Amino acid sequence: MGDEKLLDIKNLTIKTGSGRVLVNHISLDMEKGELLGVEGESGSGKTLTAKTIINLLPENLSWEAERFQVLGVDYLKADPKAIKSLVGGRIGYVPQNTGFYLHPMIKIKDQIADGYVLYSKSSIEEALARASKLVGAVGIKDTERLLNSYPWQLSGGMRQRVNIAMALMNKPRLIIADEPTTALDSTIQKQVVDLFRAVNEAHQTSVLMISHDLGLIKYYCQRILVMYGGQIIEEASAGDLFAMPKHPYTKLLIKVIPSLNIKRGERLEEIPGHVLEIGKPRSGCVFKERCSYRQDICATEVKEQSLDGFHTFRCNFDI
Amino acid sequence: MLNYLYKRISHAVEVLLLVSIITFAVLMWIPGDAAQLILGSDATPEKLAALRSALGLDRPWYLQYWDWLKGFVSFDLGKSYLFGQDVSTLIRQRLPVTMSIAVFSMIIATVISIVLGILAAIRKNTAVDYVSTGLMQLGSSVPAFWIGMMSIVYLGLELQWFPIAGYVPPERGFVAYLNSIALPSMVLAIGEIGMLLRTVRTSMLDALSQDFMDMARAKGLSSFTIYFKYALRSAMIAPSNVIGLQFAKLVGGTVVVESVFSLPGIGRLILVAVEQRDVFLLLGLVMFITTLVIAIALLVDIAVMFINPRIRVEMQGE
Ligand SMILES: Nc1ncnc2c1ncn2[C@@H]1O[C@H](COP(=O)(O)OP(=O)(O)OP(=O)(O)O)[C@@H](O)[C@H]1O
Ligand SMILES: [Mg+2]
Repeated sequence: MGDEKLLDIKNLTIKTGSGRVLVNHISLDMEKGELLGVEGESGSGKTLTAKTIINLLPENLSWEAERFQVLGVDYLKADPKAIKSLVGGRIGYVPQNTGFYLHPMIKIKDQIADGYVLYSKSSIEEALARASKLVGAVGIKDTERLLNSYPWQLSGGMRQRVNIAMALMNKPRLIIADEPTTALDSTIQKQVVDLFRAVNEAHQTSVLMISHDLGLIKYYCQRILVMYGGQIIEEASAGDLFAMPKHPYTKLLIKVIPSLNIKRGERLEEIPGHVLEIGKPRSGCVFKERCSYRQDICATEVKEQSLDGFHTFRCNFDI
Repeated sequence: MLNYLYKRISHAVEVLLLVSIITFAVLMWIPGDAAQLILGSDATPEKLAALRSALGLDRPWYLQYWDWLKGFVSFDLGKSYLFGQDVSTLIRQRLPVTMSIAVFSMIIATVISIVLGILAAIRKNTAVDYVSTGLMQLGSSVPAFWIGMMSIVYLGLELQWFPIAGYVPPERGFVAYLNSIALPSMVLAIGEIGMLLRTVRTSMLDALSQDFMDMARAKGLSSFTIYFKYALRSAMIAPSNVIGLQFAKLVGGTVVVESVFSLPGIGRLILVAVEQRDVFLLLGLVMFITTLVIAIALLVDIAVMFINPRIRVEMQGE
């Protein structure tokens, strides 16, 4: 049993049908009530990891792991039905705002509440009342009008807020939010993050938040994972990570960004070297091509280091 | 919306005019006319000439066309010399037969295509998918008359499940009516399924790959809700168009099936009119079918527009 642990994943690997490795032996766990941040290069495998947890990996990909337990349900053994009701009933998912996650031909009120009706065994009226409250909580004023709209009548930010409200409908025990605030302006961003925190404090809900926004993650999360090239290259408490980043990539990430409030894509030009091509058979350190501390040894092997058992990083040196 | 309707209708009028002129010209040009039809092939030239001038057939073709057109716009399709009756009366008598098998076969084809198309998409590359692909190919490659004759031999003569010929109007018993149109409708349906099934499968696969399906799954909804509420809703637009077009095509396309099953419908009437050179009957039939096809296509387009909430909302906003 997973007892205290909410998430207990060991050596998760995600591959394409042709064997390209997209996520390479990552391990992560989460305690009840924890706020975990995931930061990393674009294409480093953050979204795929999140999608594996909600059992929605694209059909052409497959995963394997030594251990994979979510809220005490063992994905390696449980039947698909159990996983489905776990995901629907106890995990709230806010998708990355790159696609169109609301059905364009169905009114918001007819799609925001159906999961709640199913899992909370409530009437549609109760469900809509809850939806209205949550939509209000993410800063939408005319909730009645919003619920009666079709998704294409809303702006990108509005749709994202609907997704956030929808993820909170079932009072989930775990929220997985994939860049939940990218399309929102800064006041709404703060409102959303504060809402997550309020939910976290009131119900011990855990939040796994993926974001490019280091400032946001620093302000908000207790622990942070940094991903690069399909691996977790550093893991530490938020305080430690910003006070003494150990991995050269993390150092660059923190040093290069003066305001700690970067927009997507800006960062790429500033870190030297080219973006790693994920999936090629390779050995040694994933960051070696772009690392200024590189030595010959980095081509063949990489050390897993731990400072105090909690702050770990994958690098041959301690700089 | 009004603007759109106006455009469609004026376009339809152009099409009808063009079709009528071409049909009229072709019928004038081929040998044989109504006088010959009435008097028979051994009539003397004098008698023929006299009848022609009495019927006005000796006038230039454009004057005759003009007369016909005047009648047409006041819903008078003229007279069939072969039957000695108004063309519109003849059509009215035979329309129920043709409509019955067209509607019934469309229902059969639609139900089978939607069910199999959805299953084939959900269970892609499994037995269901292969069976429906096979059915698709069978329907579009084997001619209707062959399937018709085979079904007469096996389902009609051997197993005696269905009558093999003739039409029973619904007034004379609904079950007998359904029985009399069952076999021809099924035969016709097989030809329709191919295209429709393919469309349902393709648009269902497309819907299943949309992001909003991920969300529906992440909410842990039942398979029924996921497929019917979310996927099918956006997957039905393309098939609706196909259903409309195929239905329009069917009304004119029942000639073969009506002959094979000896049904007194519009299709058979067309055959008779062609064989006997009954000019006004044929012209009337061609115009009737063309009008029907255009009208059905227009209705389907409007219906499909209303399925799409985007257009509905925009129209309310106007
Ligand atoms: N269905 C798929 N088939 C093949 N490759 C895929 C598929 N989905 C994602 N990938 C690849 O896997 C890698 C990781 O993708 P992922 O979406 O997890 O990145 P990410 O860390 O979320 O990036 P971003 O910050 O841009 O959202 C990328 O290189 C991507 O191209
Ligand atoms: Mg992503």
